[in-house]
Amino acid sequence: MIKNFLVLIFILYATVLWSQEKVTLNGYVKDVDNGEELIGVTVYIPELKAGAVTNAYGFYSITVPKGTYEVQYSYLGYKFQSVKMEMSQNIAHNVELKTEATVIEEVVVTDKRIDENVVSLQMSKNTLDLNQVRKLPALFGEVDILKNIQMLPGVITAGEGTSSFYVRGGSADQNLILNDEAPIYDPSHLFGLFSVFNADVIKDSELYKGGIPARFGGRLSSILEVRTKDGNNKKLNVAGGIGSMASRVMVEGPIIKEKSSFIISARRSYIDLFLKAADQDNLVHFYDINAKVNWKTNNKNRFFAAFYAGRDVFNFSDEFGFAWGNRTGTFRWNHLFNERLFSNTSLIVSNFDYKLELEDPVQGFKWLSNLQEVSIKNDLSYFINTNHELTFGYHITGRRFSPGRITPNSEGSFFKEVELQHMYALDHAFYISDQYNISDKLSLDVGLRLSIFQNVGKSDVYLYEDPKDNINITRTDTIHYGAWRNIKTYINLEPRAGLRYMIAEGQSAKISYNRMVQNTHLIAAGTVPVPFNTWNPSGYYLEPQLADQVAVGYFRNFENNKYEFSAEAYYKDIKNVTDFADNADIFFNEDLSTEFRQGKAWAYGIELMVNKTQGKLTGSVGYTLSKAMRKIPGVNLDKSFAANYDRRHVANIQAAYDMNDRWTFGATFTFSSGRPITLPTGKFEYQNYQPDVISERNGYRLPAFHRLDLSATYTPKKNANRRWKGQWVFSVYNAYNRKNPFTIYTRITKNDDGDTIGDGYTKEARMIYLFPILPSVTYNFKF
Amino acid sequence: MKNIFLILLVTILLYSCEEPVHLDVSQGETRVVIEGQVTNVAGYQYVKVSQSGGFYDTGKPTRITDADVVIKDDAGNEYPFVHNPGKLADSVGYYLPVTPFTGEVGRTYFLQVIVNEQLYEAKDKLYAVTNIDSLAYRIDDDEKEDPKDYQKFYEVLIYAKEPQDTKDYYMFKFFRNDSLKVYNDTEIYFSDDETIGEDIDGISTPIYFAPGDMARCEIYSLSREAFVFYSDLQSLLNSDGGLFSQPPSNSRNNLTNGALGFFQASSVHAKEIEIKE
Repeated sequence: MIKNFLVLIFILYATVLWSQEKVTLNGYVKDVDNGEELIGVTVYIPELKAGAVTNAYGFYSITVPKGTYEVQYSYLGYKFQSVKMEMSQNIAHNVELKTEATVIEEVVVTDKRIDENVVSLQMSKNTLDLNQVRKLPALFGEVDILKNIQMLPGVITAGEGTSSFYVRGGSADQNLILNDEAPIYDPSHLFGLFSVFNADVIKDSELYKGGIPARFGGRLSSILEVRTKDGNNKKLNVAGGIGSMASRVMVEGPIIKEKSSFIISARRSYIDLFLKAADQDNLVHFYDINAKVNWKTNNKNRFFAAFYAGRDVFNFSDEFGFAWGNRTGTFRWNHLFNERLFSNTSLIVSNFDYKLELEDPVQGFKWLSNLQEVSIKNDLSYFINTNHELTFGYHITGRRFSPGRITPNSEGSFFKEVELQHMYALDHAFYISDQYNISDKLSLDVGLRLSIFQNVGKSDVYLYEDPKDNINITRTDTIHYGAWRNIKTYINLEPRAGLRYMIAEGQSAKISYNRMVQNTHLIAAGTVPVPFNTWNPSGYYLEPQLADQVAVGYFRNFENNKYEFSAEAYYKDIKNVTDFADNADIFFNEDLSTEFRQGKAWAYGIELMVNKTQGKLTGSVGYTLSKAMRKIPGVNLDKSFAANYDRRHVANIQAAYDMNDRWTFGATFTFSSGRPITLPTGKFEYQNYQPDVISERNGYRLPAFHRLDLSATYTPKKNANRRWKGQWVFSVYNAYNRKNPFTIYTRITKNDDGDTIGDGYTKEARMIYLFPILPSVTYNFKF
Repeated sequence: MKNIFLILLVTILLYSCEEPVHLDVSQGETRVVIEGQVTNVAGYQYVKVSQSGGFYDTGKPTRITDADVVIKDDAGNEYPFVHNPGKLADSVGYYLPVTPFTGEVGRTYFLQVIVNEQLYEAKDKLYAVTNIDSLAYRIDDDEKEDPKDYQKFYEVLIYAKEPQDTKDYYMFKFFRNDSLKVYNDTEIYFSDDETIGEDIDGISTPIYFAPGDMARCEIYSLSREAFVFYSDLQSLLNSDGGLFSQPPSNSRNNLTNGALGFFQASSVHAKEIEIKE
């Protein structure tokens, strides 16, 4: 059926195509200094009012009637380029753009407007400009893209010091985080103080909050796509930084000039080294390694191999320790079938694992858990003509979930070996989407994704007298499924659509709809996921989560694109959102399915943003008004409640000021309404314990959160003539030392030493504040 | 395993500070709290009835002294309870059997409490418990370096056999010179046997002792319902406010009519050892 559909579409387009004699201009757009392919460069032919945008691999293709045209290439932060071309036949034209910084002495006249945000069909998407991010303050001076993602409108954080983010009323596990196409199952270092993304190797990162293209699937709320640099293919470069928490080094260069290059980068925290020096037994560290090579056999074939490994290791007194980490690998093949048909085939592997270990002759044990995934993706773009761009593809993913195995690690341990059974899933997706320019003003993107998800053996499925009874768990039967035997199949169609209408020059309105399906469920009942949470596939007891989102937006640029304004409103409706019974036992539970509770969630909001992209002072102001609710049968007495990450008002201001060649200043201010919290409405006595009485979930709010961070970057003047380029970054986190609430817990009233004071019955609530004012210095270098 | 959140919080606390904050919460309605216990040991049978109070209430919670309390079993026996027969000042709210009795393994016990004409009921089954074979003790070096209580750094080791053919749940109580101790006032010592092998060879107590102390360890059998109750209670006592852990909620229990607390039937086995230098 799908195959026939594709053939039909081809025939349809072919007839459109052959009606006029046309030629195709295609090629790659790169940075002249390092040979990095540029993503999202606008290629525009003014005479035809037709254009194209480079794809994720820097490739563009535009098909036009024969003739001689002026072709313009423009990209934010780069010098505008215009070429006159006689197009009597198909032309492959690779372009190299210069950054504005490298041509600073020349007079740059950017007469072409950069209004991608207005013209583009895509809405609800934010691209992080890393050059801008570097000018802004960072916690402990470590540039972290996730912390910047958390500052975007429509994105909410659970609190400082966490890597998790919540997009448009979706929970943290509803974000698909891709590192060179490979999913990262836990992006945190040190429980979220930092993320796994080392800014040195990041080329580009984009967050899709709505109107999600058909080529993405698998999560309900957002896609964060991070691509790493390919490596400088012109000259050898070394860069690095020495910070107060971690240091990093990056080497990149050509293997064969202009044809192949490599990049390798490493980062390691070193608090443990200080602790060791201070004779402390508690050791904590993390590291990241990124490596990538790419080579081009000709203009038609290009290969990439990328690798990432990162790990956190905690050790307490040589007795208790835990560790977690991600390892991913991506092998990619870009192939040009012809001038108009671009293909990318990827083989992706991803592994996440964690370990807990207690060294003790009697109570010693080792606990291992992991999740492995292998996928093959084939994505094709068919640039039919200036009015149609067809993208389609096929993805297959196999996953193996190993939620836990406990083994004794000493002869005399009283533990026995126990393993929770593995779970397996196969996931197929077919998609097709057409970007259709109906007229000068109107563009339409329609897409469809077919997701076929299978939970397969080898596995045992337990049947229960009452599958929702998590107290008296009574198994009535066990069904054995052999390897690859189908346990449950879920087929879902995911329509996607977007429409853009140009109201006038520099002004547009957009509307989008997407349906998303999620078949991997994070088993986490708190607000912030921890690395010890495991994942489950949809299956006999868990149904796929479904989200429908409608978004409308108004986009406008002012003063020759100096200011970008956007206003978006969205409504999201989620079915089968996965939640857990009150008091759920989610760790090492053979009968975990009795804890599942699926229900409804809904969220809506308005996001406003002003961006200033040019001039000495750059930055953005964002505001989000939103609400996120849940109603889960079996939770909170079946009454609806505010989601853990619901925050009414969020405002963020980011500003960078380039004073002169030497000094750049940055400031970030963030404000958000308090997080919902469940507080006691009383207490009682049971034996010698004084537990709280709880009445309503998330019935109260923590106080509002606000914080100002400042930074100054100093680039010594003498740099200009030297190969060695150094830079000092000074930053102050929480400049006015606001005590921002992290969470509240209760206890019997005690003094500072932890000794009970008073009658032993009186309780107190205590607020935890995370970071006081924190100054830091980082030294970055490049040679 | 739920303790992982504690470790997490401690890790996070390395960077943080905290201070008391006043909660501006409305007080929920007062609820009846029942704590009942039937065991196979003479003199261990009691029911305590009290009521919940406001979060900031000081002093002992209000005890209820005029409840009607009776325990029945599935053999048709009926044991009426009477409030504080010894008229002891520290036993207000405690009900003891009019005629002493001991529970029997395999029996199911039913509790009925009437407070202000409201009936509260519960039932629990009394399961067998494995015996503590022996106790030993040794110095804990870490605790010796920095003892929580002056000079108390001996830990007691428990030896027992875990029956592998039954699904069991356990609770432990530790006494130092006849006084019930916990290392931390939010700790409950209980376990299922899911990951436990047959030989328990010297699992150490969380309570520390000094030479001359008499250490007593009691092992209790728990029903699945009791295990669930204590597990929930421990999560509640150690909640981080729903940040990493689930938002706190009341313990699931076996009492009807919205009463808090639990009615527990247990076998108890105890061993004592005197700590010597």
